[in-house]
Amino acid sequence: MRVSNIFIFLVLLVTFSSCEDKIDLDLEDGKIQLVVDGFITNDSSIQTIRLTKTAAYFSNIETPFENDAVVRVLGPNNKVFNFISDGIGNFSYNPQMSGPLDSTNFSYQLEIDYKGETYQALSVLNPIPSIDSMTYAFEEEELGAEEGYYTQFYARDFAGRKDYYWIRSFRNGTNVYEEDRTFLILSEDAAFGGDGADGFVFILPLRAAITNQEDPFKLGDTSSVELFSLNSAPYQFLDQIITNSGNDGLFATPSANYRSNILTMAGNPQEEVLGVFSLSAISKFEIVIQ
Amino acid sequence: MKKIFLLFLFTILLQSAYSQEKYTISGYVKASESGEELIGATIAVRALSVGVSANVYGFYSLTLPEGTYQVTYSYIGYQDLVKEVTLTKNQKIGVELGESVNALEEVVIEAEGAEQNIRSIEMSVNKIDAKDIKKIPALLGEADVVKSVLLLPGVSTVGEGSTGFNVRGGGVDQNLVLLDEAPVYNSSHLFGFFSVFNPDAVKNVKLIKGGIAPEYGGRLSSILDVRMKEGNSKKFTGSGGLGLIFSRLSLEGPLIKDRTSFIVAGRRSYADVLAKPFLGDDLSGSKFYFYDLTAKVNHKINENNRIFLSGYFGRDVFGSGFAFNWGNATATARWNHIFNEKLFMNVTAFYSDYDYSFGIEEDDPRDDFSWESSIISYSIKPDFSYYIDNKNTLKFGGQFIYYDFKPAEAFFVSDGQKNSISLPEKYAAESGVYIQNEQRIGSRTSLLYGFRISRFDYLGKGLKQNYRDSIPGIRRPLDSEESFDKLESIADYANFEPRLSIKYDLNELSSVKASYNRMSQYLHLISNTVASTPIDLWLPTTNNIKPQLADQVAVGYFRNFAKNKYEASAEVYYKDFQNQIDYIDNADIFFNEQLEGDLLSGDGRAFGLELFVKKNKGDLTGWISYTIARTERQVKGINRGKWYPTRFDRAHNLSVVTSYKLNEKWSFSANFIYSSGTPATFPTNRYEIQGIVLPHNDEDARNNFRIPSYHRFDISATLTPKKNKDRKFKGEWVFSVYNLYSRRNPFSIFFEQDDLDPRVTNAIRFSVIGSFVPAVSYNFNF
Repeated sequence: MRVSNIFIFLVLLVTFSSCEDKIDLDLEDGKIQLVVDGFITNDSSIQTIRLTKTAAYFSNIETPFENDAVVRVLGPNNKVFNFISDGIGNFSYNPQMSGPLDSTNFSYQLEIDYKGETYQALSVLNPIPSIDSMTYAFEEEELGAEEGYYTQFYARDFAGRKDYYWIRSFRNGTNVYEEDRTFLILSEDAAFGGDGADGFVFILPLRAAITNQEDPFKLGDTSSVELFSLNSAPYQFLDQIITNSGNDGLFATPSANYRSNILTMAGNPQEEVLGVFSLSAISKFEIVIQ
Repeated sequence: MKKIFLLFLFTILLQSAYSQEKYTISGYVKASESGEELIGATIAVRALSVGVSANVYGFYSLTLPEGTYQVTYSYIGYQDLVKEVTLTKNQKIGVELGESVNALEEVVIEAEGAEQNIRSIEMSVNKIDAKDIKKIPALLGEADVVKSVLLLPGVSTVGEGSTGFNVRGGGVDQNLVLLDEAPVYNSSHLFGFFSVFNPDAVKNVKLIKGGIAPEYGGRLSSILDVRMKEGNSKKFTGSGGLGLIFSRLSLEGPLIKDRTSFIVAGRRSYADVLAKPFLGDDLSGSKFYFYDLTAKVNHKINENNRIFLSGYFGRDVFGSGFAFNWGNATATARWNHIFNEKLFMNVTAFYSDYDYSFGIEEDDPRDDFSWESSIISYSIKPDFSYYIDNKNTLKFGGQFIYYDFKPAEAFFVSDGQKNSISLPEKYAAESGVYIQNEQRIGSRTSLLYGFRISRFDYLGKGLKQNYRDSIPGIRRPLDSEESFDKLESIADYANFEPRLSIKYDLNELSSVKASYNRMSQYLHLISNTVASTPIDLWLPTTNNIKPQLADQVAVGYFRNFAKNKYEASAEVYYKDFQNQIDYIDNADIFFNEQLEGDLLSGDGRAFGLELFVKKNKGDLTGWISYTIARTERQVKGINRGKWYPTRFDRAHNLSVVTSYKLNEKWSFSANFIYSSGTPATFPTNRYEIQGIVLPHNDEDARNNFRIPSYHRFDISATLTPKKNKDRKFKGEWVFSVYNLYSRRNPFSIFFEQDDLDPRVTNAIRFSVIGSFVPAVSYNFNF
């Protein structure tokens, strides 16, 4: 939970002149490493794994793509899903070919052949609860929240097991947090963490987070929600993005590298390849504000 | 252990066995104006070159051969008093010293008290009077105990506005902050901008950084001993002030003249009251204020018995759609008993509690959240001082503390369904016994030697958790749990802590001192943020969390100049730490039943040189403090196991604190502070995941970069309008400017993706205070 953000808000509220400004900084360049952006789903749409390389921190261009690799996913019963390069770093699989990656509770293995080494990562396709319903209501302007329509979704976590979710929200097809991309909505069972929320309806702060308070929905908008099931490793990865995005003041935690779940065959833990492989089941729901 | 104890006692007692006809004078040293005991006043017989200092209750005992002596009583800022004493039997002599009124008299009287700098065995100790604290220009004009401590040598901080302070490479939780002997677990208001001590109720403050005597234990790095005033035993007086943040009022006076006195002091912030008219409807329900109340009564039963009751209660309250508050409560009862002119006893019992609570204020009870956490401690602590002769002062005693930790008592309601997410309470007992002797050998050498034996029991009812090993830096999985009954010992530890200090007088003006101490600490503040937060958890040592240990050696040279007008010191220290707590990346601190699996343990080291010059007398007073230091940690799983600097490591630290009295009407103060930038972790590379630019450091480094240095200049002017001689009421105006040249001192530098162009990343400098802060306050007393 971003308790630290509450503090920052409070400190800003009561202090007088705290300020932030952009500065120029010289940083050392590090060695170049392969990066895997491997978030795929059980959906029947085209699935893409993107390969890029690291760049100097202040390079301020898109990081360079990598084509020179072979990417495949091994499913149950030794089924192979080949991901084909488009020449600009996107390796795609079309489920029209040999069906979606949809064997719930089965393990899928990513394999990447790169520079004479094979890297691999595992992801279990965890089930996803369906979204029951969505609601909307008009709210007046409040502290830190603009006037507009606020939507919520209702779904219930599976009881008796540990689940990790990524909740994504769209307005007319665009991410509502497009301008604040590190604002991710994650949930451990039906709450922010701990073991207390197993089998619950997603708690209010999660249900309500699908509306961007700085830019709530307007009449005629379509509010849609996608719920992704995650494994522990990608969940931790995304959770660290949230933590780091709040790492800007008195209550910052030490910044640390993101832990990749992509290892060499020997399981060498040294981070040679960065990034994450995640196979999610998804459920969707949408509501039109009328 | 028992044998060592007896042997020790025997050796000391033997030394005094051959004594000739000797008699003892003893009593209390007080201020004549207020009746306050003068802690650390000097009682000296110059003809014999012997002297003692009064203890924390103002009690002294001096044993001399039969004869007639000129006994000099002195204390900084007070006129010396010389008493002729003819010793043919033990005598009780209580004295009262008057304040030095003007500079003229100060020339005549040599500042005997200032000789303590060289004569006393204490080293690595700084004392500040409440009077000095009030002279220092402060943020928003609020005189502050902890912010004053930051100006002393060997003390650093992670940055402006953060809670607590770091002493000689120690974390904020390694300071034992005592208010009338009760520990204060969180010494801040408003996340660290102000401290909880009301300067109107504080008598004096002593920071012990090294050469820590066996009578103290429980923390590795320092003791901040804050003593409250006893209350004027002669007449009713009051003082107070109106500032931008607080309004203050304190009242003190005798209940029975010269026997019973009290002091009550309160403060409340009123930013909320002032802001109310400016807040819109949407903000009108928000709350933000803090207050504290300090009270004390003392009663003299007879010449040999006194009792003291003191208490503190303070709270910070915030709310706006949520309710969040935190605070400390302490209560102390003490009994001073004089068995005879040589044996003094004090028994302290205290209760100390720190707690916070957080909840949301939703109209709909179908969705709710509530969270409370606390640490409660109860303690009894007898201490004995035995003034064997004028060469030996023996102290011994013990302490027992019982702890009750409530890491989280919490529940939430989601769509009408309620569940508890509380963590189990933890219990522990900490105990210690100590013995020490301060011995003078010849006319030049003093020794303080002794030891403390500490013991800690992690008690049931509770679970003993066993974890499996993992690659360092990765969460350790829970292996098994064993259940323990109430008061059953789950894990226990004992430590032998030897302590030794030596002082040798080189001549009338200078001395050298050296010390060694081992300290152990059984309480740990679980805090993974740069500045400590009010919701950080205090946890006991368990079977998984080992006691923290530190060994420190320090050597110093002490010299006074210009008839004790200036006191100066130079000290070097080296400190070695064991079992320092750190955290895996992305550690889960809250609501985590398996928190211990997220903790790492490592070593630390710190070393430095501290230079200090202080001018005590005259129109211009103040000090200059300079420290060059290094503080590092080595933890498996962080920085690839290599040493790295701590977040509060600052190579250079300079403070210049001055105060100038121009005339009866005007006085001025100024501070200058310079310190090297703190370390931070900066990335080398970037990469993109899901359109988000992520930083990466290809060496897995921690604290590999330095943010720019910190410096600041503050000034204040105090105007005391001409007072009407017939009126008791006196007022003064204090005008101050904090950060006069408006420097944007960086607290941290962080990195983020640009809002508009997602390909661009920026380095952002965050300054807690980005401009000058003027303030005016009005203080009064009557």
